[in-house]
Amino acid sequence: MSTLGPILRLRLRRDRVQLPIWFAAFAALAAVAPAAVAASFGTVAERESLVRIASGSPTILIFRGEPQGAEVDALVFFLIFAFLATLVAFMSTFLAVRHSRAEEESGRAELIAATPAGRLVPLLATALHGVGASLAAGVAVWLGFLAAGLDGSGSFTTGAAIAGTGIAFLGVGLLAGRLMRTSRGANGLAAAVIGVAYALRAAGDAGGTPSADGLSMTSAWPSWLSPIGWGQQTHAFTTISPAPLLLDLALAAVLLAVVVALASSRDLGASVFGERAGPEHAGRTLGGSLGLAWRLQRSAVVGWALAGLVFGVLAGTLGETVVELVRSNSQIGAALADLAGGRGSIIDLFTAAIFGLVGVIAAAAGTQAIIRMRQEEANGSAEALLALPLRRIRWMFDYLVVGVVAIASVLAAATAGAAVGLTRSAGTGDRVASAVDSGLAQLPAAVLILAIAALLFAVVPRLAIGLSWGVLLVSVFIGQFGELFGMPDWLRTLSPFTHTPAIGTADVDWTGAWWMLALALLLAALALAAIRRRDLAL
Amino acid sequence: MNAVIETRGLRKRFGRVDALNGLDLSVAAGEVHGFLGPNGAGKSTTIRVLLGLMRSDGGTATVFGRDPWTDAVALHRRIAYVPGDVSLWPNLTGGEAIDLLCRLRGGTKDAAGYHARRKHLVEAFQLDPTRKGRTYSKGNRQKVALIAALAAPTDLFILDEPTSGLDPLMDAVFRRELQAATNNGATVLLSSHILSEVEHLCDRVSIIRAGRTVETGTLTQLRHLTRTEVGFASEGLAEADLAGLAARIPAAHDLVAGAGGEGGGAANGAGGVGRVSFTADSDALPEVLAVLAQLRVQGLTIAPPSLESLFLRHYREDDPAGPRR
Repeated sequence: MSTLGPILRLRLRRDRVQLPIWFAAFAALAAVAPAAVAASFGTVAERESLVRIASGSPTILIFRGEPQGAEVDALVFFLIFAFLATLVAFMSTFLAVRHSRAEEESGRAELIAATPAGRLVPLLATALHGVGASLAAGVAVWLGFLAAGLDGSGSFTTGAAIAGTGIAFLGVGLLAGRLMRTSRGANGLAAAVIGVAYALRAAGDAGGTPSADGLSMTSAWPSWLSPIGWGQQTHAFTTISPAPLLLDLALAAVLLAVVVALASSRDLGASVFGERAGPEHAGRTLGGSLGLAWRLQRSAVVGWALAGLVFGVLAGTLGETVVELVRSNSQIGAALADLAGGRGSIIDLFTAAIFGLVGVIAAAAGTQAIIRMRQEEANGSAEALLALPLRRIRWMFDYLVVGVVAIASVLAAATAGAAVGLTRSAGTGDRVASAVDSGLAQLPAAVLILAIAALLFAVVPRLAIGLSWGVLLVSVFIGQFGELFGMPDWLRTLSPFTHTPAIGTADVDWTGAWWMLALALLLAALALAAIRRRDLAL
Repeated sequence: MNAVIETRGLRKRFGRVDALNGLDLSVAAGEVHGFLGPNGAGKSTTIRVLLGLMRSDGGTATVFGRDPWTDAVALHRRIAYVPGDVSLWPNLTGGEAIDLLCRLRGGTKDAAGYHARRKHLVEAFQLDPTRKGRTYSKGNRQKVALIAALAAPTDLFILDEPTSGLDPLMDAVFRRELQAATNNGATVLLSSHILSEVEHLCDRVSIIRAGRTVETGTLTQLRHLTRTEVGFASEGLAEADLAGLAARIPAAHDLVAGAGGEGGGAANGAGGVGRVSFTADSDALPEVLAVLAQLRVQGLTIAPPSLESLFLRHYREDDPAGPRR
């Protein structure tokens, strides 16, 4: 066990820049959100009206959580907790995969395992490191809320819930690292689990039962299947109940036990899903750089498209239920009736809102293509390729094509899923037409984010991966919270999602979409011009 | 123009590090040119500049008389490259990678010829082409890259330490196949720090150090620069004899007598405990042997000049300023 210390220090040293950035982001979000909410919704009446509208709008609940009153701190928790919990889940799973499967894949794990550390101490070190990081993220949120002047014990409970969520997903990340052969596959699996956890919470909150005054809700059972839901059920600023956090710890303990069992019975570097032989000759499609780019990413594209399909089906099938829910709560129903006007419009609004999430998935799928290109360059495969008679412009263009195909696949799958679900609704034709609009509306923002990532890759290749995800995350954050937090217009303008046409409203304005497409073309052209001018960054 | 590769005063900086510092290299058509240097001397950087993957910061470089940066794509049609550290696509099989690389090079137009050649090479190198890239060992990844390079006709091979992961049997296969390729008139630039490889394969050699060419010429020319290594036991010799040795053998260099040091070969001046060693110009050997015969030395060893000694002389740690003559 004397080897645990040095390995733990190695983990800390490798993450010495990355993790503090995460912690700073958590603290900053927690510190800024309450002020923004207080500024936008200063009076009790404003907050009550906001909460009532939210309680009656599954569309809003899906993105936020479970309303617990109209106090500023409870409102902040309602608005921001699911977002913070999703972030910490990604932080944990990335960390787990980075220090387990990625190490095995690169062969570094072999170097360590050949020392007295053996096979299990590195795993233990990763687990401790991840628990530490989750706790630190929790502390960051706690301190951020305290700095914003929120209630002390509520702030502490929120921090604990964030830490608990992080620890639960640490187990998910470690298990994904055991199951999958590559770190890419493991990160994909973990992201899918996070997506499911988010969707379960979203379904539970959207299907929850509002109280008589419409100011608070009780989530439906699906929330209780999701670690993000468990954190939310601590009700940090009302009737504090830390008990759900025990579920986080229990899940992490079970997953860790499975991981240890797998690691102690299997070869180093082995995965549960194994390796098969493949074709001796390259098929017809693998004839050039486009064929290669597609081959390298087709399974990822299929995965992203499946995620789109799930959300599309969700949007299509829940629409009708949503209308019923809204109708059944008369107090809210009245407020919404003015807002929306008619049964069909409510469904269209709901579909468009779900497609807001689909748009984020599509943007991530596009960004992934550029990330892949950077990884090809960094690991040396691109060197062999570019020593062939292949233009760099062509090489990058082919990845851009795959990126656009990935975006289109996600949106098409989601639209198809929604169309199937909407066959139940009255006026199917109109509803489906609106769903198609919703899908198309998400295209420009995703393509623009793809183009931004491509330009980053062409100009600052070594920073491109971090910066590209950063651009996506900040854009999503501004898109989700910009209006709510009363961010200044110039800041909101920066996020592509701000300019996504709002489907379901009376007069849909497509101007922003065209501008974004034009800008995306310009940036992609700049990226193609820039890629010719730089050295290969190995 | 006879030179396939020509660089003059090539420079490349990475931040504050001068990777190339005025590198001159000239490779004539049809020759196998050894490109020797220790780790970090700038071999791979030079190769990347020649492939147009990096742009030089100064000096000139031409390949087939053209600029490798601006004419990269046209030049690459005539070049086959094997990187030093071969990285394959993890989810493509070795066979798929070979086909892909050759197709991109335009080397599969003669389909029958390509398939015959590929089949021959896969068998010669004993590669299993159905395995995924991520399951190959370093040596097998190298085989994939070598087969892809050799399977289609090429004017210029650029090979960056091509055999560092191969076993001796495969090394012999590689030499045979490369020989066959050069018999058809191909030019080869082969970077290495494995001297036996260079001695076996190369017509001419350039030795670089710290981004600068320090020696270039045919193997015979370079051998001429090296000296024969002479060593014998100091036991039974009088102190006076040992002390007077230098005066009696004017052709001796790097004379080390008696205790201290370890047997690292004469070229780095260490004679080993109880041994005397020096190096002598090869043409002065008869006079040297006459003196040693008079002294009736025991345990005499005479090692022929090798690239090894030349190499070591250029990279002596106590001699950072440059090569010694």
